Amino acid sequence: MLEKLEKIREEGSIRIAEATDPAKLEAVRKELTGKKSELQEVLKSLGKLDPDMRKSVGMKANEVKNAFAEMIQKRQEELIAGASAVEGEIDLTLPGTQVSEGALHPITQMCYDLNDAFRSLGFEVFSEDDISSEKYAFDNLNFAADHPARASMDTYWLEGTEDKRGSERLCLRPHLTGGSVRYLLEHGAPARFVYPGRVYRNETTDARHERAFFQYEALIVDKDISFSSGRVMIEAILEKVFGRKVNVRMREGFFPFTEPGYEIDMECLLCGGKGCKACNHAGWIEVMPGGVIHPNVLRAANLDPDVWTGFYTNIGLDRMVMMRYGVDDVRLFHSADLRFLKQFK
Amino acid sequence: MNISMKFIRRYVDLPADLTYDQIAYDLTMRTVEVEDVINTADKFHDIVVGEIKEVKAHPNADALKVCIVDVGEDELKQIVCGGSNLTAGHKVCVSKPGAEVVWHGEGEPVKIKETKLRGVPSYGMICGATEVFLADLFPPKDEREIVDFTELGIDCVAGQNVAEVTGLDDVILEVDNKSLSNRPDLWGHYGVARELAAIYKVPLKELSTELPKGLPEYPVVIEEPERCNRFTATKIDNVYVKESPAWMKTLITNAGMRPINALVDITNFVLLAVGSPQHAYDSTHVEGDKIVVRLAEDGEKLLLLDEKDLELTHDHLVICDTKKPLNLAGIKGGKDDSVLETTNSVMLECAVFTAPGIRRTTAYFNEKTDAALRYEKGIDTQRADLGVSMALSLFKEIYPDCVFSAFTDNYPVKTENAVIDITQDFLDRRLGEVIDRAEIEDILGRLGYKVEFENGTYHCTAPTWRSTGDVSIHDDILGDIARLIGYEYFKKQPLPVNFEESIHQTDVDLARRLREYLAFRCGMNEIFTYPWIDEKYIRAAGIDLDNSVRLATPPAPELAHLRASLIPGLLETIEKNHRYFDEFAVFEAAQVFEKGEYSPSSPDEVLPVHKNMLSGAFAGKDAKTLFFKVKGVIEGMSAYCHFKPLTFKQKRKPSWADEKVWLNVMEEGKIVGSIGLISVHALTDAGVKLVSAAAFELDTAVLEPYPSRTNEFKHLPQYPLVEQDLSLLVDEAVTWGEIKEAIKFMVKDLKFVEEYRGKQIPAGKKSIMLSLKIGNDDSTMTSKQIEKKMNGIIKVLGNKCGAQLR
Repeated sequence: MLEKLEKIREEGSIRIAEATDPAKLEAVRKELTGKKSELQEVLKSLGKLDPDMRKSVGMKANEVKNAFAEMIQKRQEELIAGASAVEGEIDLTLPGTQVSEGALHPITQMCYDLNDAFRSLGFEVFSEDDISSEKYAFDNLNFAADHPARASMDTYWLEGTEDKRGSERLCLRPHLTGGSVRYLLEHGAPARFVYPGRVYRNETTDARHERAFFQYEALIVDKDISFSSGRVMIEAILEKVFGRKVNVRMREGFFPFTEPGYEIDMECLLCGGKGCKACNHAGWIEVMPGGVIHPNVLRAANLDPDVWTGFYTNIGLDRMVMMRYGVDDVRLFHSADLRFLKQFK
Repeated sequence: MNISMKFIRRYVDLPADLTYDQIAYDLTMRTVEVEDVINTADKFHDIVVGEIKEVKAHPNADALKVCIVDVGEDELKQIVCGGSNLTAGHKVCVSKPGAEVVWHGEGEPVKIKETKLRGVPSYGMICGATEVFLADLFPPKDEREIVDFTELGIDCVAGQNVAEVTGLDDVILEVDNKSLSNRPDLWGHYGVARELAAIYKVPLKELSTELPKGLPEYPVVIEEPERCNRFTATKIDNVYVKESPAWMKTLITNAGMRPINALVDITNFVLLAVGSPQHAYDSTHVEGDKIVVRLAEDGEKLLLLDEKDLELTHDHLVICDTKKPLNLAGIKGGKDDSVLETTNSVMLECAVFTAPGIRRTTAYFNEKTDAALRYEKGIDTQRADLGVSMALSLFKEIYPDCVFSAFTDNYPVKTENAVIDITQDFLDRRLGEVIDRAEIEDILGRLGYKVEFENGTYHCTAPTWRSTGDVSIHDDILGDIARLIGYEYFKKQPLPVNFEESIHQTDVDLARRLREYLAFRCGMNEIFTYPWIDEKYIRAAGIDLDNSVRLATPPAPELAHLRASLIPGLLETIEKNHRYFDEFAVFEAAQVFEKGEYSPSSPDEVLPVHKNMLSGAFAGKDAKTLFFKVKGVIEGMSAYCHFKPLTFKQKRKPSWADEKVWLNVMEEGKIVGSIGLISVHALTDAGVKLVSAAAFELDTAVLEPYPSRTNEFKHLPQYPLVEQDLSLLVDEAVTWGEIKEAIKFMVKDLKFVEEYRGKQIPAGKKSIMLSLKIGNDDSTMTSKQIEKKMNGIIKVLGNKCGAQLR
């Protein structure tokens, strides 16, 4: 009997060692220590043995049982430590499962980046309707009565209103600046707000010209602010767009709705201002207009220009996005071509 | 505009150590944008004066000559040349090895090398005018003529660079015309010289404004004084057509115009110098010896110098004699009566026409001439004084024997000086820095202002050349001061800070959350399409064209309609993309328009109705799946984007939707949008094949954003819930909505799992599988309770929906 137990133990220990996964080990455990196992048979038959034998066989059987339990426990730990959830071979170079592919339009991405920057400076976000009138698009902004931009070669007038004047002559807005008067009429001064939106010009299109494009205007109206404060606004925009401080300079420029007005240049990022092909060897790239709001514009907003003054700037979002990513055709933004749009996450 | 620095130096002596790059930079920062600096001498490198010592026959070619030439080097050079006018002892133009010349005046420049011509070594090339960029100055009589400086009477020495000899050693500043648009005073070199004199604080040379005195009248009638503020006529006899002196031709060339003959060149030179356009008429052609400035008759004809035959209208101002129009006023002269080869007496016009009429006429005939460019910016009437005075002194210089035989100055309207007060206090506040009174007076004085200072106020009289619209308010004067100091010298000032309240714009936030939800949660791509849309797609979407707003001059005839819905744009987008992608999802947020009345800012302004729409579409193979994707997007939207929840109801079918598969999106009983499959009909008309699509549209202006996030906390269940799956057999007519309604109060949670029709299911029936959770609030459910609850649920489903367990 004792020899039999010894044999059970020897064979059992081999079986345990040979179990290659937790399920097999569990099967082995049942076979070795379960109700129908040889070991149980031995234990069940103890009563039939004489007392001397009963004691030594009983002790031996329990010893084997405990040994099995210990070995199985140990083997189980070994197996878990080295276990894989995957059976068989696996090709780890296969691509991962794709996450949801949706994305905002690159123009929207840029616009939100700028909104975040300006909100942190205490600016509100404003939007105006796409259709405006000559009064808001030109008259209020100090455009001369026969300014060429008022012609239908430049502006999209609505059918039936094209020969009227002022508030009765309606158009797809040719720029955002007219909306600033709407905001000021509603909110008064002081005010600081940004104003993103799409504008429309009757143009011949090519890789650099579009009929519909996006602008981002920022305006601050307050008492006694100097045009030198406008630089903070401009630097905030460019730092957000390009992710680092960009040198800017303001130089003389002319726009009907500013006095004085500026052209704002940024240092060419490709050559660091040394001069290269991209900046026409100037070291600077013209990026946006800006200036002190013309008194007539403030008057149109019912504000006294002797009390209030303001600084304005307006950037072409399309141009900024083109510079950000090296996009070479502005028409792609309105193409709704997913081969293009899916590139911008 | 091209600014010749040689021209500039006639009027101002600039500091000697100033580089051209610095001048370009300072002008760009303070006045106008200089786009390029071009050294005209660059292209004349290694092109020098050569003195021909000897002309010999070529041993192998009759047409060629062998010349021994002194090019200013230690030894004489031998050059083979085919020129027709080679003369020993004469000075000619020689291109040395390394020079770049244009072969026969055509094509790209070619580099000269020492070579052999028909066996005879040749050091370089004796050149004709077209080969070395001199054709404008010295028009050649024939192809083989070489430039002969001796013949031209030009003083020079062998070896001297040709650019220097001809005056073409100039530096040209190319100025962006757009940046000059508000500065009529800068459309002449004298104006730019004035700016430079102010920038560098050096004196500006004064020009004469003296007009002829004591001459007989030349009759001039101005019928339209509003359009012609001044007209001076000078009759000059005893002149003839000849070439201008070299210095004048050079300056005209450098400034970007072509010399023609001395009579015309004088007018162009004055235009370039002081920006005062002039015109010379053959005075023998002025019938009746009288000038009439009048509006044209409708249908009147005028043949211009550029051969354009105009049919005039009553809006066009013309200069006429007693019979006929001679000149399109301020724009271009007539061909028949301007300077001709035979002209021996001219009537010189120096006039001032007002800008609006010039702009209209220029645009009408598309005649953008140098004169028109200047008039349409607005020229002060006083400028004619400079123009007449300069022109007449040039006539005297170039035609010493000419006679001024008549003169008239018809001057109905005089440009008034703008008079503006500006206070020291205003300047201090708006400049952000205190500028010294002496400096302010100095800057303004150099720009031509007369300034008196009294009690903290500068009383400024602007010069007339800045008074035609450019300078009118004190901000303009502030601008002049700031720019001449240089914007770059003002310290950056912080923005004023106001901490009264934070920015809280729930509508702006909602608009962004909606877009981000669709892009990031729903996997859709944002698109932008144009507001004008091809009628084809509007018709495909079944949208009524009558109610749409139209453009007067659309980008193309079929693009006249502005969108009343974003669906046509989505159709076009699906059509464009479905050949590249099997499955895709797009959305657009934009305004749409329809006829109606809406006044956003002031009651006098009535705009069409605008709606802020949000629309999207899923395209792919299985229509049903696509529809439920769209439904899921709208169902999840209010929770993720934090606004009042939306519900669905079939109320009014959108025109683009499938007959069966559509729902209206409702907010508190109001239709705010729709979802549905896009009808097969709409897709087919839009040119979409083999793809299905489902879309939604939502008027986002009606959505009411919550002021903050909407999530609310519920306690976690204290006792475990029991999850049970049921598979039901119901009639086809029974909806999920009815099943849900029947048992929703009996369960803690209810989920639809799947719908099934198939072989095992009898006709007219369908199987619905659902998953539900039940539980007690105060204890763990016993198996008896579970059994009782489930039996109750099954009974209710049986009674209300006729459902059987499968």
